[in-house]
Amino acid sequence: MTSVLSDINQEESHYAPKQAYFNPYEQNGGTVLAVAGEDFSVIASDTRLSQGFSIHTRDLPKTYKLTSSTVLGACGFHGDTLTLTKILQARLKMYEHEHNKKMSTTAVAAMLSTMLYSRRFFPFYVYNIVAGLDEEGKGCVFSFDPVGSYERETYRAGGSASAMLQPLLDNQIGFKNQHGVTKTPLSQEKAIKLVKDVFISAAERDIYTGDAIVLNLITKDGVKVETFPLRRD
Amino acid sequence: MTSTLDISKYNTVISLICGKDFVVTAADTATARSIVSMKHDTDKMFKLGGNLMMLVSGESGDTVQFAEYMEKNIQLYKMRNGYELSPDAAANFIRKNLADYLRSQTPYQVNLLLAGCDKQTGPALYFMDYLASMNKCPFAAHGYGAFFSYSILDRNYREDITEAEAVELLKKCIDEIQLRFIVNLPSYTVRVINKDGIKDLPNISPKRIQV
Amino acid sequence: MALAGVCGFQQNVAKSPCTLGNGISDNLIDGAIHSSHNFTMPSNFDPVENLKQFTDPKSDVKIQFNHGTTTLAFKFQHGVIVAVDSRATAGSWIASQTVKKVIEINPYLLGTMAGGAADCSYWERVLAKHCRIYELRNKERISVAAASKLLANIVYGYKGMGLSMGTMICGWDKKGPGLYYVDSDGQRMTNPIFSVGSGSLYAYGVLDSGYKWELTVDEAIDLGRRAIYHATHRDAYSGGVVNLYHMKETGWEFISQTDVLDLHYKYQEEKQARR
Repeated sequence: MTSVLSDINQEESHYAPKQAYFNPYEQNGGTVLAVAGEDFSVIASDTRLSQGFSIHTRDLPKTYKLTSSTVLGACGFHGDTLTLTKILQARLKMYEHEHNKKMSTTAVAAMLSTMLYSRRFFPFYVYNIVAGLDEEGKGCVFSFDPVGSYERETYRAGGSASAMLQPLLDNQIGFKNQHGVTKTPLSQEKAIKLVKDVFISAAERDIYTGDAIVLNLITKDGVKVETFPLRRD
Repeated sequence: MTSTLDISKYNTVISLICGKDFVVTAADTATARSIVSMKHDTDKMFKLGGNLMMLVSGESGDTVQFAEYMEKNIQLYKMRNGYELSPDAAANFIRKNLADYLRSQTPYQVNLLLAGCDKQTGPALYFMDYLASMNKCPFAAHGYGAFFSYSILDRNYREDITEAEAVELLKKCIDEIQLRFIVNLPSYTVRVINKDGIKDLPNISPKRIQV
Repeated sequence: MALAGVCGFQQNVAKSPCTLGNGISDNLIDGAIHSSHNFTMPSNFDPVENLKQFTDPKSDVKIQFNHGTTTLAFKFQHGVIVAVDSRATAGSWIASQTVKKVIEINPYLLGTMAGGAADCSYWERVLAKHCRIYELRNKERISVAAASKLLANIVYGYKGMGLSMGTMICGWDKKGPGLYYVDSDGQRMTNPIFSVGSGSLYAYGVLDSGYKWELTVDEAIDLGRRAIYHATHRDAYSGGVVNLYHMKETGWEFISQTDVLDLHYKYQEEKQARR
């Protein structure tokens, strides 16, 4: 009797409905960081692309130059990043041909928001940060969630080491939890130095961050790109 | 989805009594979300015609959308034909809509009572649930309050009940709900439908429990 | 709209779809390129079920949308007070402490943000567009009742697809101050007092015990600010600063932005002094 019962149970578990979803996403790691100054902004990323414990490549910057005064930083799932940047580039080209001018950073941010929301029910798994200069020539940084909620900020870290970098930036740039300090505006030199320092720290503790930093300095003269080595282990 | 429906069950209680030439209706006035009561003067009765009213409870959002959809369609019928849909015809029309939407991607999860008074056929009361079952009855209720009300209605209802007696009977039901039901429903809207139309009666608040 | 019907005016003039390269248009890319009103989805697809796997905390791939809030609004003799916190959370991570949760729809309409940040800001932007179109067509401002119903009907169309939104539409029209609550269930109602979000229960406590219609403007502002402060104190998902608006006959006015840290010490001092 017992054996019969257990047989039935086995049958049942064998034929029990199984539900499996197609998973079109992957976490490819990487960190981006952007800082806005008075008349400049800096956006940097590491160049490592990984999946689980394997490193796919050590030379893939996650910043994408969109216009002469706008750079996008994007990390999360690289497949979606590629699709998204392709569409962005197409939209920017269409805008340039239609209006005979380049798109402003604020407009790029607004457009990116609606583009991300158009995939509200099947999202792009990408964390975006847009850095550049606004219409008045001031440095600006916009950060996004995967479905297009966005906000203008003065500094923002995104990606795998963001939880390590953001509190540090809060303290060093936002002067959070510091008493009796004079809140001096951030200079270009200090911004670059800080960005390098925090990435070196992130590479020490985050396995998905390392290999090199690609740093974009955006001023009225355009985008200057510099590369610095990080730990490669 | 189911949990939301459960919450609305807690809060919506509707009971009516059908007399010889009138229908008395009552509906509680609370609107809740999660555990919060957000509004205490909601009118859950929708006037569909001069002598026709619908009382709704169920999934938030669906109730008002469905009620207004029916209301507008029944008003459109009057505009097109110059006369109103009778309570019986309206009940069948509403049931058909509920049934059709039940088999769609977006069913309306609405429980309702339809009360009307026709000049020829007299008062009518229909009970309908979200599965589109329909029943014509002398008295009916929806929500958790129904469990407390039905026995009182069975015990005290008579076919020759007067309007004043019907209101008293409603008060009995509401007092019992206040006494035994865990959820607080502080006020009920009350209306009467007869051949002259729909008349507002003063709100009923339950008797305070003496401890 | 009746005139439009008589003239045979069609609002949705068919767009000539721009094709890519050899004339094959890709649905996924087309949607993203041409319109943000077409939502891209595979066919026969349940967005709610599909998203569940990505909000699983054990998964490597996590899509966590910004959430968590305390917002409140109440009517009184001098208009409507709107007060909100500014924290956005993704799970237990504080994504931002500087979110603008009051959305300025136009000079006479404000919306608040609770639930999904993207859902609120996107659909209230769509609402802003509809309100502007209404103004241009009718040569008068839209009523608060109509604006809120527009929003409720839009989100009701997406019911069951996982939108998350709890908003208060506040304004001033011919009937005076207006306050409506609209959520992603499609529910819409009006009341003198509303509070929405994870901290709303705490906010209600302070608000209900201090509220009366005859409040002066200063008293009302203080009440709104206090209610949000106490909510941020007890609710971990709320915090940052208190943003406060006052809706008047002349439209809304931004009143103040106060860090809850400063409020904490201010209220603490007041309590001490009263002893």
